Amino acid sequence: MLSELTTPGAHRRDTWVVIAAFNEHSVIREVASAVADDGWSVVVVDDGSRDDTAQAARVPGVVVLRHAINLGQGAALQTGIDYALRRGARNIVTFDADGQHAREDIPALVGALADAEIALGSRFLGSVEGARRRRMLLLRLAVLVSNRLSGMQLTDAHCGLRAFRAEVAPRLRITQDRMAHASQLLRKIKEAKLRLVEVPVTVRYTAHSIQNGQHGLQAIRILFDYFFRPT
Amino acid sequence: MIIRILLLGSLAAIGWLVFLRRNRLPIHILVVFTLLAVGGLAVIFPEMTNEVAGFVGVGRGADLITYVVAVTMLFVLLHYYTKFVELQHQLTQVTRELAILRGEVDRLAPPSAPPGSEHDSSAT
Repeated sequence: MLSELTTPGAHRRDTWVVIAAFNEHSVIREVASAVADDGWSVVVVDDGSRDDTAQAARVPGVVVLRHAINLGQGAALQTGIDYALRRGARNIVTFDADGQHAREDIPALVGALADAEIALGSRFLGSVEGARRRRMLLLRLAVLVSNRLSGMQLTDAHCGLRAFRAEVAPRLRITQDRMAHASQLLRKIKEAKLRLVEVPVTVRYTAHSIQNGQHGLQAIRILFDYFFRPT
Repeated sequence: MIIRILLLGSLAAIGWLVFLRRNRLPIHILVVFTLLAVGGLAVIFPEMTNEVAGFVGVGRGADLITYVVAVTMLFVLLHYYTKFVELQHQLTQVTRELAILRGEVDRLAPPSAPPGSEHDSSAT
């Protein structure tokens, strides 16, 4: 089973890598085509970017969907997931568009689905490159808050790199359009009592990913969404 | 007395607008016109509000109206916030369907331009 899932080639096509992208035209082509070259099916969801992200992502092996308006990362991921399911995906991987994730980590995540229903990437089990101390502290804090909210004991919070089996996707539907989707996902994993495993991954922060990423203060908005936005 | 003319005029204008847009259920229209009538009475006979206020245990009629308006506004706000969130979910679904549909159209009937055709062969 494990070998079947991790063998490059035909079976990789059954795994869809969903990449939500917003104003990422400078890096999306490289990120998406690299993942596609590994043999995975790739769908990039351009979340109503103001730049030519959708055009940049149009490379062989990559399906590009475009939101007519900007809805948020949670909505974009769910669009990609819905599409992948319609195309008969067996596994779904979520992958960040800004290049902070390593495509070399995907086989381990998908392989972990042999014994688990969902595999979450953990940069604290793995490694973090290019992060300043302040960011690391912020991330540690996020892990504490997240575990508190979800009632789970995880080593990382809200790592965008994860994999799950298609059959559990309906129980993981994201209705938080913006950034609170990551907390929502954890809550749904717990509610559905899914078999979960954490897999070490490498997260590489670059000047670009930091600039396009979340600021610490945006945590306030995420918490607001999580608690006050009816789902 | 100018204030009475202004208030009655405003109430009448609201009534007229509601009358023009009477595509609601009859019960809605009835409720609105009852409220307008009560408002009109309160403008013409302000002492009446004092009596009602005294009856429910509030000092002055004007105070009672303030409280009622505040609570009503909060209710209306909540109502529209709920609607707003609901609308946002619907918008998300429409946008999502549109994105997926366009993706499928591009895949199954690629535009004649070269990028579409290579996109198609790779996607299947």
